[in-house]
Amino acid sequence: MLFNSIAFFVFLPTVFILYWFVFKKHLKAQNLLVLVSSYVFYGWWDYRFLALIVASTLVDYGIGLALSHETRKKRRKLFLMCSLVFNIGLLGFFKYFNFFIESWVEAWGALGVEMHSSSLNIILPVGISFYTFQTLSYTIDVYRNKIKPTNKLVEFAAYVSFFPQLVAGPIERAAQLLPQFQKKRMFDYELAKSGVHLIIWGLFKKVVVADNCAFFVNQIFEQPTGYSTAELWAGAVLFGIQIYGDFSGYSDIAIGTGRLFGFRLMTNFAFPYYSRNIAEFWRRWHISLSTWFRDYLYIPLGGSRGSKAQQIRNVFIIFLVSGFWHGANWTFLVWGGIHALLFLPLLLGNKNRNYLARDAFKLRQLGSIGITFLLVTIAWVFFRADTVSIAFSYIKDMVLWSDAGLGFFYKTNKYLLLSLIIGFSVLVMLGFEWMAVRRQQVEVSLSPVKAVFVILLIVLMGAFKDPAEFIYFQF
Amino acid sequence: MKKGLKQFIFYACVTLVIANGLAWGILYIHTKAAFYKPAFLTNQVLDSRFDYIILGSSIGLTTLNTFVIDSISQRKGINLSMDDTGLASQYLMLQHFLAENKETDYVILVLNSWEVMNTSGELSDNDYRFLPFVSRDYVYEHFVSLEEGFPVLSGSKYLPFLGVGYYNTELVAPSVASLFNTTKRNRFDERGNYVYPTSGTPPEKKFSEITLQFRNPYLDKIQSLCEAHEITIILYQPPSYKTEVLNVNTQGYINHSSLLKDKMFFYDAMHVNAKGREAASIEFAEEFKRAGN
Repeated sequence: MLFNSIAFFVFLPTVFILYWFVFKKHLKAQNLLVLVSSYVFYGWWDYRFLALIVASTLVDYGIGLALSHETRKKRRKLFLMCSLVFNIGLLGFFKYFNFFIESWVEAWGALGVEMHSSSLNIILPVGISFYTFQTLSYTIDVYRNKIKPTNKLVEFAAYVSFFPQLVAGPIERAAQLLPQFQKKRMFDYELAKSGVHLIIWGLFKKVVVADNCAFFVNQIFEQPTGYSTAELWAGAVLFGIQIYGDFSGYSDIAIGTGRLFGFRLMTNFAFPYYSRNIAEFWRRWHISLSTWFRDYLYIPLGGSRGSKAQQIRNVFIIFLVSGFWHGANWTFLVWGGIHALLFLPLLLGNKNRNYLARDAFKLRQLGSIGITFLLVTIAWVFFRADTVSIAFSYIKDMVLWSDAGLGFFYKTNKYLLLSLIIGFSVLVMLGFEWMAVRRQQVEVSLSPVKAVFVILLIVLMGAFKDPAEFIYFQF
Repeated sequence: MKKGLKQFIFYACVTLVIANGLAWGILYIHTKAAFYKPAFLTNQVLDSRFDYIILGSSIGLTTLNTFVIDSISQRKGINLSMDDTGLASQYLMLQHFLAENKETDYVILVLNSWEVMNTSGELSDNDYRFLPFVSRDYVYEHFVSLEEGFPVLSGSKYLPFLGVGYYNTELVAPSVASLFNTTKRNRFDERGNYVYPTSGTPPEKKFSEITLQFRNPYLDKIQSLCEAHEITIILYQPPSYKTEVLNVNTQGYINHSSLLKDKMFFYDAMHVNAKGREAASIEFAEEFKRAGN
């Protein structure tokens, strides 16, 4: 079920009414309702893959309980390994099987050895990268004795499949979300109000900003030859805006929906395009994933301790793995590699901890913000292009200046109109975000008048007729 | 909880009222303008009596030039074809024409052979152009009978923001443009004609033949409506690149499917260009003239 679908606009109020009016006094019933609703939400897309979520839930629930009864180190490690093998195996099969087979054949082909293989027709289950990471975090934290395992299956299953964040995050930690399923929840008006505001703001970013950008981006990246240099630059910038509007919009709707049910989900985006360097960008972009890798991969590897060589190795590992998490394509690996290279000078110059959350923004930092955005935009080309060679060719055409014309964006009345809509909506988005950034907030706050204004923009400018699927569903 | 729900309902109502008010205003401007064909017919076509009207999709819009036909046949006609529409929409356009108290002796129905053979009517991509007239019964019924899924178009009778929101890029900007220039039309001339440039080329293809079978229920509806208003219907098969329509022994049927053979007359496989339109219109006018005498 999509957040921007009619079905969801029927589903959400129905669950809300049952949750707060029918099952208000019964925590277990509320949790069961969340679980059933989450399975309906997911099954709406393809009920067959519910079996994977159920399997992942049962395995980690069982391993959690087993860990709680086991004190021997070796046995505990074995249990952890079982969870890792199962979850990463699941992910590996559904997401990476064909990629490895094809890459293997291509590698031998490059050496002149012809191999025959057939890839499987595997459908990637929506959200698998998100919920496997969520269950893994539970088992790892139980293994590390950071949290106590739960013996209540319904509450654990509801934590794994909580519908607002099931298919595209934020990737919640058990330590953060699971206790919220264990406490009695009271309706919090202020929390719910902020949730509604976030839903409105997220819909605006998704339906108005991202989906209108998609109209141009899809055409340019489908066949990048034949466009002027300026048009290619505009295409890359628009993709940067599209993916931000799309993914952060989804996160906002997810967090907002969670708040309607009394849950506080973690912030996933904190205005990343106002970052003043790449390190800050990664503290503001897809925060739930980057902190997951930090806690479960980077720090166990040694993090920023050890020699410079070890630090560099760790940075490359985390960025490459993060890139590969996004998809089974060399483009994502290159994208991760580029970010590692951009991060490296900051690490070597000990500037990677500059601009922490409390550092106020100043107008004179606009240059740094612009340069960071430019670098991120160039890297996005690899993320969006179908192959690495297409991405290199795209970048080459961006660099070798040929033509400054932007005729593509106004070649018909419809194109001109969409360009104007995008221009206006991006200004609105950046304006609202700038106000929040200046106040050192991590989310946009809307007054009632602003909320009505944004809803009207959604109605009058939203791409309802040609909606684009959420980009991160494919990951 | 109560406070929250009250506030939520209050702001939802305020938003709904403003959104509907804006949407109503946008549609109202369309009803007074001439941007799309339905409103053009209502506001810019002052004549109430015609010798013929042309109904069709983009093929009808771009094949028959009423200026050429009028000058040869000494008749007065108007082209009411709309691109990306089917027979159901053409039936709706005929209803709209009659509802405007206009009269015609002939309806020239330009056929799309695939569409004619469909066994059911369907909503067309550009039917939203009738949305400003959704309060009229025949428009509303058209939407109700053909709309599948969420009733975006028919629901606009009561909540106009549904249709305006869904078709916002098609409706909002033209409405604003029409506010400043009520005579502005969407790429068709004062008699409803449009022409493709000569720059296009049809893709190479093998010669094919189609045996036409009239299955579309809306064809019967159009014929019945014509009979009820004593209008003679002429079915017109326009030129098609390397496709000939065969075995039609229907009365009042003009088959020009193989009239033009040279690539130079075509914009693509289905549409003629300016040269093709000129040739087809002349030939049609001659036959139409003979048919009338």
